[in-house]
Amino acid sequence: MKLGIDLAQMDAGKWGIVTSVEGGHGVISRLESLGLRPGARVSKISAHFFKGPVIVNVNNRRIALGYGLARKVFVDMEGDK
Amino acid sequence: MKKILLMGNPNVGKSVLFSRLTGAHVIASNYPGTTVEFTKGKLRVGGEPFEIIDVPGTYSLDPTSDAERVATDMVADGDIIVAVMDATALERSLNLTLHLLKSGKPVVVALNMSDAARHEGIEIDAPRLEEMLGVPVVPTAAVRGEGIKELVDRLPDAKADSMDFSDENRWKVIGEVVEQCQKVKHRHHTFLEWLGDASVHPLTGLPIAVVAGLLAFWIIRMVGLGLEGRIFSPLFENIWLPIVYRISEAMGGEGFLHQVIVGQLVEGELDLEQSFGLLTTGLYVPIAIVLSYVFAFYLVLGVVEDIGYLPRLGVMLDTLMHHFGLHGLSIMPMLLGLGCNVPGAMATRLLEGRKERFIASVMMAIAVPCMAQLAMVIGLVGQHGIKGLAPVFMTLFLVWLGVGVLLRFMVKGETPEILSEMPPYRLPYWKAMLKKLWMRTKAFICEAVPFVLLGVVLMNFLYALGIVDALGSLFEPVITRMLGLPGEATGALIVGFLRKDVAVGMLAPLGLELRQLVVASVVLMIYFPCVATFIVLIKELGIKDMAKGAALMIAVTLVVGTALNFLLQVVY
Repeated sequence: MKLGIDLAQMDAGKWGIVTSVEGGHGVISRLESLGLRPGARVSKISAHFFKGPVIVNVNNRRIALGYGLARKVFVDMEGDK
Repeated sequence: MKKILLMGNPNVGKSVLFSRLTGAHVIASNYPGTTVEFTKGKLRVGGEPFEIIDVPGTYSLDPTSDAERVATDMVADGDIIVAVMDATALERSLNLTLHLLKSGKPVVVALNMSDAARHEGIEIDAPRLEEMLGVPVVPTAAVRGEGIKELVDRLPDAKADSMDFSDENRWKVIGEVVEQCQKVKHRHHTFLEWLGDASVHPLTGLPIAVVAGLLAFWIIRMVGLGLEGRIFSPLFENIWLPIVYRISEAMGGEGFLHQVIVGQLVEGELDLEQSFGLLTTGLYVPIAIVLSYVFAFYLVLGVVEDIGYLPRLGVMLDTLMHHFGLHGLSIMPMLLGLGCNVPGAMATRLLEGRKERFIASVMMAIAVPCMAQLAMVIGLVGQHGIKGLAPVFMTLFLVWLGVGVLLRFMVKGETPEILSEMPPYRLPYWKAMLKKLWMRTKAFICEAVPFVLLGVVLMNFLYALGIVDALGSLFEPVITRMLGLPGEATGALIVGFLRKDVAVGMLAPLGLELRQLVVASVVLMIYFPCVATFIVLIKELGIKDMAKGAALMIAVTLVVGTALNFLLQVVY
């Protein structure tokens, strides 16, 4: 059972802590090197229509992820900032 | 010679640091992945010469992409490593740095972008960082030239294997280091940050992109027209042309040599565009017409690149690009191709995956005209106003879309999803921009002008030897009946292999109807890449793929050209 929701489902403007990253070694590594790894604090900035890219804020940097990738990163929501 | 490697994440300012250290010419831009090839230079440290290499940016040493595999191989080959970190992204920079500390090679850390960090309220305790990492840590701001000397002075102090930790603990260690060495003061959301987010937001992003696009086109047009109309044309007409007339008289005003060097008299006079001699067309077209717009284009592109807008544009366009089997960042080769197809073709290296590279290359080669062609086509067809320009560019756009969708289904393979950092908007550093502009313009002059001159000479020979007429008869069914063009247009099609701008120029004296001008312009733009682009594409795609691409281009040209010919007969 996985806790939390994924980045695609997350509401814009909210913060969360990454709980897990699903996927193969390559995917995990790429996401990790941009800062998306368990324990990281992320906030969602915006998302595009029609399953378009998702923009998040990690470590004060903006990262754009494809919809499919966003669905692989699970977060535990914090209260409102 | 011993090797110093500059390594770090994409977009940390490695290239700027490199040019500071070597005084060499390097292009650096504010978006990830620009440094496609690694560049080498020389540096003297304490009297000893070293080779210094700017390694492609990577986020780690896990081999998940070509850039990272190349980087890992290069580490094995290097003697000293300068780990270039981004002071505004300490945690992320530490990932690669810790990998490098375990590489067995001596390391020195350059803590770059210290100026930006200060500006953002980020304080980094460099001495403490040095203590924890066990290697020299030198704060630098390469763009301003700060810290460079100190960095070089501390190179001899580089240490290898200075830190003891296991790979599983890496992120824990990073956390500790960040905790002890970094303090972030509270700061207000700046306007540029807000603008950065707005540029990529689904609602505000599109209007911003449209405004930016219109502004860009307007500036390019103004600067281009200004350079051409107020500087180059007067120079050519008032100073150069009289000289050419003298030479013409001295040569007796006729003969083959005169034709090649000075050109033909058009209605009794020398015409800088139409005479087709080395001294007339051969110089006027590339310098007065094309260079004006190439310069204007690179000026605008440089600003857009250095501000950091392009990754955001890529995200905005990502959904659209996926319809072609590409992802948003493949807008890059397309945009670069607008300046010149050669850097556009090279930029496809940024794309992962053979499928993406192939589709992006073909789409660019077929439907993205370079400034040289554009300037000439607009000059020629533009005389007829929107009636002429609209069909040309609409057709081009439709070809771009159509080929993209077609290739998406024809080419096997997966398209990876977009995963990219969008660096914060930064006000461009004008010196770096000017340097880049100068280098691109100089490259254009040195590469294009010889080809243009060659094209003029070649064309004159082909005409004199009757080869053009012969080929015209050979291809008559295609050229005259399908495309509706006169046999003389064959010359333009031949020269188009060499230089497209000269080819378009050759259409001028043919006295074509508007319909024929439109068809000829479109055909010249899509039928085949110019030889320079062709060579680069063979290197990038390999001969087999390039052959497939070329076959597609010719097939599309025949279909589109014929359809356009008949359609316009009805419309006009």
